[in-house]
Amino acid sequence: MTDPLSLDPVLPPRERSRLPFNEDLPHDERHGHFVAHVQAGGKIEATDWMPDEYRTAVLRFVEMHANSELMGVLPEREWIMRAPTLRRKLALTSKVQDEVGHAQLLYRVAEDLGKPREAMINDLLDGKTKFHNVFHYPTRTWADIGVIAWLVDAAAIVAQQALRESSYAPYARTMRKICWEESVHIMHGRDVVVTMVTGTDGQRAMIQEALDRWWGPLMQMHGPRSDRAKDRDIFWRIKAKTSEELRQEFLSIYVPRVRELGLSLPDPELRHDEAEDVWRYTEPDWDELRTVVTNHGPKSQERLDFRRTNWDATRWVRDTILDPRTDG
Amino acid sequence: MFQQEKEGGPMRHGGSVLAPDEVLAVHYAREFYGRRQESVRLWVVRRADIHDLTDPDLLAPPMDRSFKKPGGYVMRDKLAAAREAAGQEKPKARAK
Repeated sequence: MTDPLSLDPVLPPRERSRLPFNEDLPHDERHGHFVAHVQAGGKIEATDWMPDEYRTAVLRFVEMHANSELMGVLPEREWIMRAPTLRRKLALTSKVQDEVGHAQLLYRVAEDLGKPREAMINDLLDGKTKFHNVFHYPTRTWADIGVIAWLVDAAAIVAQQALRESSYAPYARTMRKICWEESVHIMHGRDVVVTMVTGTDGQRAMIQEALDRWWGPLMQMHGPRSDRAKDRDIFWRIKAKTSEELRQEFLSIYVPRVRELGLSLPDPELRHDEAEDVWRYTEPDWDELRTVVTNHGPKSQERLDFRRTNWDATRWVRDTILDPRTDG
Repeated sequence: MFQQEKEGGPMRHGGSVLAPDEVLAVHYAREFYGRRQESVRLWVVRRADIHDLTDPDLLAPPMDRSFKKPGGYVMRDKLAAAREAAGQEKPKARAK
């Protein structure tokens, strides 16, 4: 497989760009140049000088994203052997493979910021780092698989599209590749949903029931509102849009597409306020979000246990490949 | 009704006849599909006795990996059917 664009070889310091913050200046001056650069839309590569806060912020952001891709395959993986047709089985298997690939791309980006991959996996398995709320919930029927692949991936892609212009260039490049691959996943999900909605009454009811269960976690997924002026990730231009902006964008695109199929959404307050051009909705349960992302969700420990078992069972492979005595 | 044009050729589906019993069905088939010596053989089969296989998983398994590509998900007709069943309009294109 050819290397994706984001895996540029790490440049030695003498090949760093001649940007002012890379010069040997006092820290405060370098910091000032750096902030001006990113806030003017400038990009940062892995070998550039970075303030510690920036490095830590990008690392935390990318690490959680990588964790989410890795854990996110587990709900869908449960249904590979129960897919209703061969085509769906192959599409689901392919999607799961893609997502694990995304995790690997993202751990690769995070490693260059200074945290070894083993440390990131251990922190995930020890419950010290997090992954997105939606991946802590059970999948009860095949309809869940359609709803997840369509709407959960859609909510994710709304966030990921906005990250394609991140100030941290290796992450931005990876996001462009990931967004393209996710767009096919969303088509697969939507195809499952539309197929069932135009099928039997039982299939249609199954989709509606799944939607009723997943809507809450979906509304929580982008996170609570934050003040744009105080959001450090926006300050550093790591991300460009606030949680609320992403949620509004998701609702604008997808609520009409759900209603177009004659499906209902379980929030009686959900409506588009034409006068203010904003979506109104019942306030998501932020307590539930907090409980779930701290690994107290219905499936959190079971899925982490699966990863722990897998990590232990494959240790001999890593030890063999990474053994300095072998010739590689 | 299936017909064979020439000796050694395949039986091809030519059409159907409606008849109260098998004997008349064979006669009708001859009238419609054998009057001009265009067939050397005819098979007349009750429709219910034909076993129909259309499952795409068996006949066209997606070994072209189309499920990995946007082209594998043409939904226009399915969406139109869903919209019609739901009595819904297509959502308007968004301003941005």
